Parts: sequence; C-alpha cells; structure tokens
Amino acid sequence: MRPDQEAQARQMRARAVVRKTFGTLWTYAVLLAIFVFAVFPFFWTLAISITDKTVASGISIYSFPASLLPRHLTLSNFVEVFNTFKLGKYLWNSVAIAGLTVVGTLLVSALAAYPLARLNFPLKNLIFGAILATLVLPQETSFIVNVLTLRDLHILGTYWGVVVPIISTAFGIFVMRQAYLAIPATLLEAARIDGASEMQILSRIMIPLSLPSLTALGIFTLVGIWNTYFWPSLALITNQDLYPLSVAVLTLKGQFNYDPFNVAAGAMVMMLPILLVFLLAQRFFMRGLEGAVKG
Amino acid sequence: MTRAATTFIAYGMLFPALILMGVFTFYPVIYGAYLGFSHYTAADFGAHNAPRWVGLENFHTVFADPLFQTGLLNSLKYLAVVPVLQLVSLAVAVLVNQKLPFIAFFRASYYIPVITSISLAAVMWDWIYAKDGLINWSLEALHLLQKSSAFGYLLNTDTAIWAIMFVTFWKGFGYYMVLYLAGLQGIPAELEEAATLDGASRSQIFWRITVPLMRPTILLCSLISTLAAIRVLEEIIVFTNGGPLNSTYTGLMYVYSKAFGLDFNYGVASAAGLVIALVGFVLSYLNFRLTRESGGEGA
Amino acid sequence: MFKKLLAVTLMALSLGALAQQKPVQIEFWTWYLSPKFDPFIDGVIKDFQAKYPNITVKHVDKQDTIERDFQAQIALGQAPDVVNFWQDSTFAAAQAGLLRPVTDFTPVAQLKQLYWPNVLNIFTVNGQIYGYPWYGYVDQGVMMYNTELVAKAGLDVSKIKTLSELLNASKVVKQKTGAYGWLPSVKDPNGASFLGQFYLEGLPIYDKDGKAAFNTPAHAALLQKFVDLMKADVIPQDLLRKEAFQLTNELYSQGKVAFIVGGPQSLNRVKDANKDIYSKTKVVDAPLGAAKVQTGGAFDLVIPKASQHPSQAALFALFMSDKTNQAKFANVVPIVPTSIGSEIDPILQPKAKSTDPIDIATSRVAGAGRLINPGFKPPKNTQAVYKNFNDNIEAAFLGKKTAQQALDDAVTCWNANAK
Repeated sequence: MRPDQEAQARQMRARAVVRKTFGTLWTYAVLLAIFVFAVFPFFWTLAISITDKTVASGISIYSFPASLLPRHLTLSNFVEVFNTFKLGKYLWNSVAIAGLTVVGTLLVSALAAYPLARLNFPLKNLIFGAILATLVLPQETSFIVNVLTLRDLHILGTYWGVVVPIISTAFGIFVMRQAYLAIPATLLEAARIDGASEMQILSRIMIPLSLPSLTALGIFTLVGIWNTYFWPSLALITNQDLYPLSVAVLTLKGQFNYDPFNVAAGAMVMMLPILLVFLLAQRFFMRGLEGAVKG
Repeated sequence: MTRAATTFIAYGMLFPALILMGVFTFYPVIYGAYLGFSHYTAADFGAHNAPRWVGLENFHTVFADPLFQTGLLNSLKYLAVVPVLQLVSLAVAVLVNQKLPFIAFFRASYYIPVITSISLAAVMWDWIYAKDGLINWSLEALHLLQKSSAFGYLLNTDTAIWAIMFVTFWKGFGYYMVLYLAGLQGIPAELEEAATLDGASRSQIFWRITVPLMRPTILLCSLISTLAAIRVLEEIIVFTNGGPLNSTYTGLMYVYSKAFGLDFNYGVASAAGLVIALVGFVLSYLNFRLTRESGGEGA
Repeated sequence: MFKKLLAVTLMALSLGALAQQKPVQIEFWTWYLSPKFDPFIDGVIKDFQAKYPNITVKHVDKQDTIERDFQAQIALGQAPDVVNFWQDSTFAAAQAGLLRPVTDFTPVAQLKQLYWPNVLNIFTVNGQIYGYPWYGYVDQGVMMYNTELVAKAGLDVSKIKTLSELLNASKVVKQKTGAYGWLPSVKDPNGASFLGQFYLEGLPIYDKDGKAAFNTPAHAALLQKFVDLMKADVIPQDLLRKEAFQLTNELYSQGKVAFIVGGPQSLNRVKDANKDIYSKTKVVDAPLGAAKVQTGGAFDLVIPKASQHPSQAALFALFMSDKTNQAKFANVVPIVPTSIGSEIDPILQPKAKSTDPIDIATSRVAGAGRLINPGFKPPKNTQAVYKNFNDNIEAAFLGKKTAQQALDDAVTCWNANAK
C-alpha cells in the first residue's frame, strides 16, 4: 500500500468513527426527546401533587417554571383527598373490581381452554372459531344492550355488573390454549394411565405448568380493568358509590376544580400502583401478545 | 374414558365461557341489530313493552339528524391520526431495535402512556392544553406566540379535535411500537448491514427495506388503529363531551348520547351504531386493499 | 268460609302493616355539595334517622351530570327519592312529567306557612308546586374583592356601582395586574345564564305576548360587548366550559381574580384554599345592572314520580329544608334561607360586629329570602330551548356567528319550540 493510500484509508476510518459517534449521539438525543414526550405529563402531575400549596400566596399550577420544580414539598394533598374525598372508598372499589375481574378471567379462561387444547369432542372447531370470531364482531351497539341485560338480571350498579360481562374473552382463552398446547402430551397420557380425572389433570398438571401464562394474562387483565373508564362508568351509572378510581378521578376533578393539587394527588394514587406493576412485569408488556403466550 | 363422557366434561368446562360470551357478546350484536330496526325507548323499557319493528324509520331519523352527520364527519376526521401514528410507531420501533446501552429503559418508558388511564390522561392534558398551560407557556418562552393571541386548545373549535387526536397519538405510539418490534425480529439484520455498506442512508433503509418487509404487520396495526379511530368515544367523553360547539362530537358519541344522554332512545342509538359498524367494515376492506396495492408497486 | 276469609284478610292487613314497618332506604342527591358540606348534610341525616328509625338515607353528591344521571336512573328503574335541583332543572323535569307535585304530600296552606311565597312561586310549574324550597342565593348579594389586586390596579371600589363600571374596572385590573376582574356567568351548564345578563341590564326576555324577544339591537350590543371582552381576555374563555361560580373560586384562590359578586358562600372555599388571600378580602355591596334589580334563585328538593318511597322521601325533604336545618346550613355557609323564620333563628347568630369577611357577608344576605327573584320564568320545553340558546351564545363567543345572528337564531328556535 502506498503511503498516500494509507493516509486516505486512515482518514476514511477516522471519518467513519466520527460519523458513528455523531450518529450515536444523535440517536440518544432522539431517544431522550421521545422519553420526555412520553413521561412529562406524568412527572408534571407528580410535581403538582407534592407541591405545598400553603406556602406562597396565590400559588398556581400555571406559574411556570415554578410548578414544574416545586420548592416546598408536602404529602398533605394526599392526606386531604383521602380525608375529604373518601379516596379510600374508590381505591377499594378499584381493588374489588380488578380482583374479581382478574380471578374471573383466569378461571373462565383456564377452564375453557383445556378442552379446546387437549380434548376431542363434537363441534370443537366450530366453537373455537366462534370464540375467535368475537374479535371481529361489530360491537358498536353492545354497550346499550348489555346495560339493559344487566338491569334485567338485577346486577346493574353492582361490582358483578361491571365484571361478569367482561371476564370471558377470546384473548384469555387463546392465551391459555397456547400454554396448554406447549405441555408435552406424554405427561397427560401418564396421568390418565394412573387414573387421574380430567379435572385432576387440569388442576395438578396443566395449571401449575402454565403459571407464566396465567401470570401474564392476569397482569394484562389487571392493567386493562384498572384503567378502563367507559364500561364501569356505564355499568355503575345508577350507583356511583361503587365507581372505581378511573371513573372517580374525573368526579374528583369536578369537586376539586379549584384545587388542582388535590386532583393531582388523586391521579397519582391511581397511577402509582399500576406503574409499579408495570415496572415489575415489564417483560410481559414489551413482548406484546408473545409475552402472554410464552410467559 | 368414553367419548360421551369426554364430551360431557369438555362442555362442562366450556360452559361458563360460552354462556357469558353468548349473553354479553353475541346476543348484544344480534339484539342490537334488531333494535336498530325497532322503536324502543326508556319508557318502553320501563313499561316492559317489547321493541316494535319499524323497518328503516330509525335510519331515516339518524340520517336526517345534522348532529349525526357532524359526528360521522368528525369520526372520519379522526382517521387522520392513523397514518401518523403508524409511521411514527414503526420509526420508533426501528430506533429502539438497536443494541445500545439503556435501550431497554427507553423502550419501557415509551410504554408508560399506554398503561396510563384515559381519565388520567384527561386530567394531565387538560392542564397542558389550558390557555395558561404548558404548551402556551413554552411557545411564549420561545417567542413563537403572543400572550394576547393565546387560547385553550380544547376550547377552540378548530383545534379541539386535533388536540384529542394528539393524546390518542401519545397514548398509542408505545403500543404499536411493541407490535412493530415483534415484526422487526423477522427481518434479517444482514439486509440492513448490506444496505449500509452500499452507502444507503437511514431513511433510505427505512423506506426501501423496513416498510416493504413489514407490510403484514403494518396492515394489522393500521387495521386495529383505523377501527379504534372510527369508534373513538372514551377520549371524547373524558376531554370535551363533544364540545365546543360539537366540534369533537363523533359518531359513537351520537350512539352513546342517544342511548344514555338525555334521549334514552335505544332504537335510534342502535341504528346509528349499525351505520358506524358498516363504515368500519368498509374502511377495513379499503385498508386491506390499499395496503396490498401499494405493496404491489413497491415490490 | 267466612272465618277463613277473615283470617286471610287479617293476615294480609298485618302483613301490610309489617311492610310499612319494614325499614326503607331512600336515596338523596345533592348537587355540588360534597365533600365540602358532608359534615353538615350527614349531621342532618343522622338527626332524621334518629327521629325516624325505620328510614335510612343514602347520600350521593352529583356534579355537572346531575340531569343526565337523573334521567338515566329513572330510565333504568333505579330512581333516587329526593333530589336537590334548582329552578331550571325543576322546571325541565316537571314538564317532562318526571316529578310528583309536593302538594301530594304537604297541603298548600302548610307550605305557605313554612316557606317564602316568592320562593314557592319559583318552583310552580303550570300551577303546581314541584319542589320543597331549600337554600337560596342572590346573584348580586355582595361584592368581595382582593384588596391587594385592587390597590395594584389603582381602583376605588366605592366608585363601582354598576355592572358596566365593574366591567370597566375589570379591564383596568387586567391591564395593570394581568389578573381577571369579574367573571360573569355567560354559559353555565344546566341553565341559560346569558338571559340573566339581559335581565340585569333591563332588557326584556319576552314581549307582552310571552314570545321570546331578546334579539333587538340593544340585546345584540350587550352580547357583542361580552364577546369583545372575551376576545380581549378581560373575561376568560374558560367561562364557556366551566361554571362561572366554580371558575371564580378556582382563580380567586390563586390570586388571579379580583372580584367575586354573588352569595358569600364562595368565601368558604377561598378560606380553605388560601388563607392569605382570604385575609386580604373585603366585602361591600354588590354593583347592580342598569335595571337596578337584584336577582337570585333557589335550590329545592324534588320527589321523582318513580320514587319507590315517596312519602318517606317527602318526610325527609321537609325535615332537611325546615327552618332549623336551614339556619344551621346558613351558619356553615352563607346561603340564603328560604324557610320563614330561619333568619331570626338563634342558631344564626347576628354577626354584624365581626370583622371576618364571611360573617359580614352572612349577615348581609341572611334575610334576603323574601327578596329572591329569578326575574323571569323558563320557557316550555326548557331543555331543548336552553341548549339551543347556549349553543348560539357559544357560537357568538367563538366568532362563528355575529351576536345579532346568534340571537336571531336563538329566538327563532325558542318561539318554534317553546309552545
């Protein structure tokens, strides 16, 4: 290689390094910008919720940049919403509704998926097809009919009214079916030879071996129901005492219109548990549907 | 075990799932369709009167109602969020599909809006969009906006629906990013490396390699996104309830307010719901056709 | 045979008596009163339950969706039993045939002994009284102001005697301090507030045949004046979305509003939210419009037709709104009692000598019950007509229609529908 060629090559390499470094920096700049975009509403609300509103006269959430970085911190807003707004009641409603929904979904899905995965019986494919078809059914009018049905069943305005219509889902059954299909057939055969009943096979083999999928399904269901606004607001239209936080937080906004600090505190009480669940179980979410299927 | 016994056990296990789906998923679709052609109001319901078949009367009512036309138009307007949301999500997926330090952290943080309830989003964004809110303050600080010409974005008939669409975008891009990430696993890394060696720029790689190869995922995501857009309701209720001056009043908002607003006319509401369902069906078909055809050109 | 029949009849009768003894629960709705006044409301409920051990009362507070929720629960067969409405919602619900006249439970003569006749008149629809009067309010009861902001703007409050002077003062406040002056209600939900502005300025709502007539050039000029004020941000655009009362509380507590005109009940919220501003607040007589009239209104307790326990509901409504409990309420928050005798009740101590702004304001309005007068009656088909009216007002504020056009359209719709 001639010296000038060598120099040229070195120069090119150097340029490539510079370009790569610049590229990486640029990538991180973009990553950071999107990060700020994604989480700043959350952080701002957090900042408002811990602002000590009693310090300065005429403190406002709109006095920037002070409201983004509060100087005097307090937890008294949280105490106040719990005391005056009975936030504990709504928190309990959320827990009860979420608990019933998760348990119900797991139970119904784990039961229904077993025959679809492991038993042969007439009309099996038709039934599985019908279950999957619910994913594409036009449901624009369903909420109307469901409210009328709930009233006829006398469970409108109860926890059950919220929960019962939403626990049997194609998604849940599909996830559990995939989990059962992944379990070796020899295990089942051995159990059958030992005289185990189908119910025993389900409870002693299939379910314990599908725990990762059950967990994933449980977490997805939990996050979904905790955050849902529309359906609970409708199913509890006649009994707002049972509103979960997702609905009550807007009532809170109506009642504390003049006090955004309390509203922010209420919002955080609703947000933090779900954020914690998310941080602990990230991997399920980051893999999408696959996360639920593979656990 | 006999076949009959197996069948018995199988149906026993399926029973809870099937009965619930039957009552709360299939029955509403069929009965809702029937209601669309019937006269049925709260008064009938209270008096235990059965729905009375009236043929197309509800549809005449719906189409003659300017509010429904406004609603349908706004729902169609809402579709504008779909291409932006899909392209940005795909681009972000490509961006975070690299092996870099802290990339998992960024990925996870982009998902936080997805796990934020729409009612919380309404609380937070209401403050951001306010006249003295964060956006206007930033614009004023950058001298892009005079304080005197500032307005609240949810209070202006020209901006309210776009402001809500922007929240849909904010809440949605992390979700589609994850779906696209799964799709990107299927693209061999060598393809991109080879293109980089040939001197292709990032945007060239994105448009010429990634997008065509991701067509099936894009089709699926656009479909989900399109149907969600045409059925938009929750966002509207929590942000503006259809105002100001019905500028955010959508098709499903019409269904909802006919049924549970002040009318309680389940028949007319169901008819409007059926129209929206039909529009959704046509759009799905168009979406499918469009994505296939543009694919034909690219290949 | 006869014996048997007698036995059955007796059994049926005793069962019926038993059924009457059976404890019942009634659902009681308040409007924007929680959580602030829960201690008071729950206290009255406790007293009531002690007096009538067979009735329990479930308290629910509603906000801007009260009318929607009311109809929804009736439609779905779970009607509340006692509902806190105000004149316009009472009117709308009575016209829709959803309410029982209260004379079904309490004779007119007794009602007239208990409540001010002018207030009973507010709740009279087609000759029937549909609500037990509860607490009243006056739109121009007093004016409360932030002394610091007013001093900064260099204003002399004693010179503000009319509403148009107050609006001019608001311009100055905005210019000199950046804060708002006064927030008039222009489009509150559940009503038609701008009609009140017309009335205060002496502009008629109806002509002598009872037809809507608020589209003269003078009306349009008044609306235009407000539109211009909003454009110049002298009054905030948020008034189109939030109740003026709510927004005023919110902003006054942040030092962003200089004047509150109305009942002194706002001060309680200010006191809670910001003691510092509360201590800078002074109270004077409220400015009046060109018509020199005071307007006001009242909230009431109505019994839906669909109530399962109407007689128990009526008992409770009477109890809640009796003169002692209204006096107690006025002691908690400066409402205007509508029951005759509350204003001289010993519970409501004379507070004229106190220097506390709330006490001063309370003593100024406590006796105003006999003067409450909304000025005009809502039209028939209230709900639809008011919605159209508000849409038109909003269109004018948003610049989608000229003031004249908006009022013309509203009048046309009004006269076509309010038959």
